[in-house]
Amino acid sequence: MERTSAKRRKLDHSMEEPQGALVAAASTGLSKSRTFILEAEELLGEVKLDYAAAFEGAEGILHRIKGSIEAIKSHEAIKINDAASDLEKTHKIRVPFPEPHPSKDSNYKVSFSQPSQFNVVGSYVGKTMIKAQKHPRIDMVVVMPLDMFQEKDYLDMRYFYKRAYYLAVIASRLKKDFDGTAQLCFEYLGGNTLLPIISLRPIAHKGKGDSTSTPDYHVRIIPCVSESVFPRAKLHLGAALIRKAHSEDANTVATPTSFYNSTLAAEGCFLPYLTLLRMAEKKCPAFRNACILGRVWLQQRGFGSDVSEGGFGHFEWALLLALLLQGGDGKGTTLSGSLSSTQLFKATIQFLSVTNFAEKPTALGSAKADLDSAPDAIPILFDSKQRLNIAFKMSPWSAALLHQQAKWTRNLLNDNSTDQFNPSFILKSDVPLENFDLVARIDCGDASGESADLEFRGKAWAFGHKAYRILKRALADKELGERARVIHIQSPRYSFWPLTKTSPSFDKTSVEVRVLFDSVNMARAVDRGPSAGPTAEEKAECEKFRRFWGERAELRRFERDTIRETLVWTSSSPFDLCEEIMRYILGLHLGVGQTGKDITFYGDAFSSLVPLKSSDLGAFNAMRKEFGVFERDVRDLEDLPLHVREIAPICSELRHASVKIPLSGFGKSGPQPLDAVISFEASGKWPENLIAIQRTKVAFLLMIGSLLEKSKPGHVRTHLGLEDAQSKTENLAFLDVIYESGASFRLRIKSDLEETLLERQIKDKTSEQHLRQRATTLLSTFRRQYTTLPSHTQTISTLVTRFPALSPTIRLLKHWFNSHKLSSHFTEDFIELVALQVFLTPYPWESPSSATTGFLRSLVFLSHWDWRSEPLILDTSDEMTPAERTAIETRFQAWRKLDPAMAHTVLFVATSSDGTGLAHTSVDGEAKPSKVVAARMTALAKVALNVARQDGVSIDPRRLFVPSLKDYDAVIHLNHKAIKSILRTYATEDLASLEGGEDDSARRSKFKNLDARTGQDSLPLAKHPADVFLRRLNYTYSGPLVFFRGGSNDLAIGAIWNPQLQKRTFKINLPTSYKPVSRDEDEDMDAEDDGCSMVEINREAILAEIARIGGDLVERIDIKGT
Amino acid sequence: MSPIPATIGDFSILPVTIPPLPSFPKSAVHYIYVRRNVPKVPTADDSRRLFLTNIPVDSTELHLRSLFASLVGAGRFESVTFSDERSQDSESAADAAPLHAVRLLAAHGNKKRKRDDAEAAAERAREEEAAALPKTWTRTLHLTGSTAVVQLADKKSLEQVLKAIAKVHKNKKYPSWPSPENVPKLGSTWLKAHNVLSYPSKDTIQTAIDNFSTMFAKREQEAAEIAKRLRNEPDEDGFVTVTKGASRTTPASRIEAEEARKKMLERQEKKKLELANFYAFQIRERKKEEQAELLKKIEEDRQKVFEMRAKRGRFVPES
Repeated sequence: MERTSAKRRKLDHSMEEPQGALVAAASTGLSKSRTFILEAEELLGEVKLDYAAAFEGAEGILHRIKGSIEAIKSHEAIKINDAASDLEKTHKIRVPFPEPHPSKDSNYKVSFSQPSQFNVVGSYVGKTMIKAQKHPRIDMVVVMPLDMFQEKDYLDMRYFYKRAYYLAVIASRLKKDFDGTAQLCFEYLGGNTLLPIISLRPIAHKGKGDSTSTPDYHVRIIPCVSESVFPRAKLHLGAALIRKAHSEDANTVATPTSFYNSTLAAEGCFLPYLTLLRMAEKKCPAFRNACILGRVWLQQRGFGSDVSEGGFGHFEWALLLALLLQGGDGKGTTLSGSLSSTQLFKATIQFLSVTNFAEKPTALGSAKADLDSAPDAIPILFDSKQRLNIAFKMSPWSAALLHQQAKWTRNLLNDNSTDQFNPSFILKSDVPLENFDLVARIDCGDASGESADLEFRGKAWAFGHKAYRILKRALADKELGERARVIHIQSPRYSFWPLTKTSPSFDKTSVEVRVLFDSVNMARAVDRGPSAGPTAEEKAECEKFRRFWGERAELRRFERDTIRETLVWTSSSPFDLCEEIMRYILGLHLGVGQTGKDITFYGDAFSSLVPLKSSDLGAFNAMRKEFGVFERDVRDLEDLPLHVREIAPICSELRHASVKIPLSGFGKSGPQPLDAVISFEASGKWPENLIAIQRTKVAFLLMIGSLLEKSKPGHVRTHLGLEDAQSKTENLAFLDVIYESGASFRLRIKSDLEETLLERQIKDKTSEQHLRQRATTLLSTFRRQYTTLPSHTQTISTLVTRFPALSPTIRLLKHWFNSHKLSSHFTEDFIELVALQVFLTPYPWESPSSATTGFLRSLVFLSHWDWRSEPLILDTSDEMTPAERTAIETRFQAWRKLDPAMAHTVLFVATSSDGTGLAHTSVDGEAKPSKVVAARMTALAKVALNVARQDGVSIDPRRLFVPSLKDYDAVIHLNHKAIKSILRTYATEDLASLEGGEDDSARRSKFKNLDARTGQDSLPLAKHPADVFLRRLNYTYSGPLVFFRGGSNDLAIGAIWNPQLQKRTFKINLPTSYKPVSRDEDEDMDAEDDGCSMVEINREAILAEIARIGGDLVERIDIKGT
Repeated sequence: MSPIPATIGDFSILPVTIPPLPSFPKSAVHYIYVRRNVPKVPTADDSRRLFLTNIPVDSTELHLRSLFASLVGAGRFESVTFSDERSQDSESAADAAPLHAVRLLAAHGNKKRKRDDAEAAAERAREEEAAALPKTWTRTLHLTGSTAVVQLADKKSLEQVLKAIAKVHKNKKYPSWPSPENVPKLGSTWLKAHNVLSYPSKDTIQTAIDNFSTMFAKREQEAAEIAKRLRNEPDEDGFVTVTKGASRTTPASRIEAEEARKKMLERQEKKKLELANFYAFQIRERKKEEQAELLKKIEEDRQKVFEMRAKRGRFVPES
């Protein structure tokens, strides 16, 4: 194709792989494409099927089949119904006539004579099967002799009646000959009800005993004809070849039967295509491997030759590739035979991504193609030499999806900054809820319309087709603005049936409609249709619009006095809007929603968990606005000694990323201020001493507080709060600013000199090791607080406007971390970055457009991320250079070499603004999470993903959010009431009375308005009490226990004993509370060890301590196993 | 249950029964390990001091007082020093002095500091205390497995305590962990109080900050004086320290020097770049280098893929 440069053609591919792959790898300058080639090579080796083992004894069976068929006696033409009843009487075989069956008084005659040819076709000969295929099969075609057919047999299904009879005769013979050694049944070739075939599955013969594995392959016997039987010109796509049904009504123009025609044309193409593929293999050594790559790619996306799988499988891929190699795409370009398999694969993807044959018929080959007569709205990929539409089994939706998937993969292959291989071939990307934002299951009812008798893909398919046409117009109308990027219909699949029964039918069945939203238009509540002008053209447009939309269409006046046909929807969220429209329009045109045609929607259940509402965006924006007011108020202060440089928010509420929306106004609990940091212009006035700087900051905060109160008397309260600091060089205080409106913010001061001094301390080789260590910790805390978090907040705030689904995805993912009690071990920003990852590198898809897909894909990412050997690199600013990436990777490798046990560096997450990779995954100098917890995260994600995939669309999402408390050694249950009482903070709370132990409720009056404290301002909450409690526990028991807790509502703290603290010898400085091991027991174990006695962890005493610390806060402590 | 040893190494084991609580209705036994205090630098009072390790995290002086009272009766217990309290104090006062002053003191002040009499030390402690910010906890917890030193009334009391502990093992009457009345409560009261204490009155803080500023200014002045004195005074080895009168300029000028250096390096780098690709041999060499680099990278990629293959299952498409 256009990427085929002369240089590449020169490459010699006569060498066998893997040298060939290496040469190909060397020919590209980009490391990622090089890795891609090498990995594809590994993949090819891995998936290759061992033919000898998988098809044990196949040759013999094929010969026996041939012998059996050759032994069938020919007979002269007899009436079709007689022949059929004959077969049923003597052999109990039902002839698998396609619908409609030949009429009772039919005069058609059928005969049987020896096949003119046998042949084995398909991937068995091509050796392009792979291990992952469920049932490997061998396709054997039996060419029916010419003399059986008459010229007009292409009309009115006569050919297919004869074919069905022929097949039944073969079946009767094989049934006799293979009795006991094979199972026989009928099935439809590719889900096409015109084409029944015999499927023969050998049964393991127990007598020989040696082979332990039963063969798992099928032999499919496919009758066909030679290409010269029917004149191709008659079989063009626009021809109407089923005339009988319409003959009564002479007025109607017969409908073109393109599917029927193509099926008939394809009957003659088995052998020519076999030759074509053989030729291609000969001409191009990499052809076979390119086909295998194509097969894997298609399989991972759920495509297959069956109509229900989209009608584009490996066979179609191989044909397309062979045609491209032979004659090109009609634009004069030809693929070179010397390309490597990956290049051929990429070229095919490129072709599929630029050719939208769902909408525009595409001809392949040099011969002139006559496509004018073809009906529109069917996908056409026309082989002009064989005059066959090779995409005839495809539906408009599957062709559109294939096109979309190819585009996504092309984008992936063009992105040299990411892993191209795994999304292309390894990741399974046909899971409905990971792919689509909305899934609806519709029961088709039993009567699916009058044209169903001409539909050979099943009634459900026909119903789906109708629904698709309506939905495409309703949801993907270009004039209105496309709400849906992809609409896909999943129709049910036909299975095989025994020889003695009639073919199965789907009278009561359902189809699945899957919709992928367009994130730009999905939230639109008012659709503006054509303008209601006076011209005839406009009138016709409006009439059309009204006819389609029915009574929902109404006239409305818009700005600049335009009057338009309008649709106004009442829902607010994208999902509800889409559901509303679908219910309405399908109900209007197809009667969906009425009896027998129920419609059920899936995909939104996750939103109700948090809950995510469409009004949340407003709440976040309002809080941002309040923050803007606060910022201006501080900037406007006149008497500040230094000029304010920046006031930056650092908390998740101010970047649309908190699980709960920020509350404005006062609740029952004290205000919980939102964090921000303030920095001033550079100044030489800061003292050159860390302790003094901290004190100066406190003085500064006091000053800001009093100035604010003075500038807005009555509107603003400020409180100076002390940090729970361990040393004097830490930040000591913060200022809480509470507005009358209820908004409250917490301010901390950044001093540049602090950073400089800490850096100097770290570099100072003369100072003591522990001092330098402390300085390092303080510096990392400083940077996180004052550099990382402000820039992270900035980044996320920008990106949530670019990706509407990002904010809900983050919140859902955080809820998941909360539910599994992981969040106490992860920074919020890390979780946000994980969610962001599936938006920035969404491959093999595009950025998610709903929280459900975003969340499930985040789980996919978490379960696949091999953080032990891969850094996570996020290009948050879209301008990371390859050199920067390499530098980050090098740094990652260096860390792993330095700390292979991952004691200090675990997860490595680098962004455009932070190349160190640790800013989001370490707090106070410690890895957050630790290795154990990170492994737990991966394991939990894997389990959740499995559950989600097993349960499919009808999953109850709550199942993914249930914590398993039995994993913990101990669970500390907190008392809800006690927490609530701590949350009520009163400025005048008397310490003495607190200590007096008077019950809070006793002092409060029964009547709220009589309570002296009701009207008072409450103190802000320094920190959530449960967080404070956990922090104390963590600090006190950092050695023996690891605690797990979710969000602020989580009332159960999980705890696990550190497995490294075992029984040990006694020493003075014990890491925790130990108890002596009883004497005699000790002596039994090792008598020599008399002097140093053994001690072990005193678990009960420690838990009893926790119970004492918690007091009334702890309701109970559960111990594992009790 | 088999008997617990009465001693472990040179420690006596003091078992303490923990009364069950509604939230944890199990009785547990906590073990405190006790021996005579033998610090590295002996003091006069060592004979009446006991060293305790593995004290309960919620220990307070009152707890231990009543625990000892239950062993040997009231009046024997004098005081207790918890190890983590000591370490907090050791955060040296010098930290609060300006950086350069600390340096100078470290280099030259050793002799002089020893001469600091107790009075000066007490003065400093007073200043520190006045400048300290209010505490935010009514009661602090100790780290698990902490140690403490208990001072008893006299030597005799110490012997009695050790005897009492030995006796406890014989008659199996373990003392129980007391819950004294006058100790601030833990639990929700404790957390509630913490929140209140976290927001002290602004005046309190202002006073502390003002005191600190005074102290800091004083220290700064002291440092300046030392610097002044040292300017002309040779040290033991006969060297005279070169110091500047205005101490503030020192670090600033260093920063300037660093910046100048950076600029110079940048200029050099720029010059180098300008002259690259100027001569034919440069281009030739560059190409050669690039080629070698490419080959190296290919080899690396191959290696990576091989490593990946080592982890089985990497290349199998998911099903």
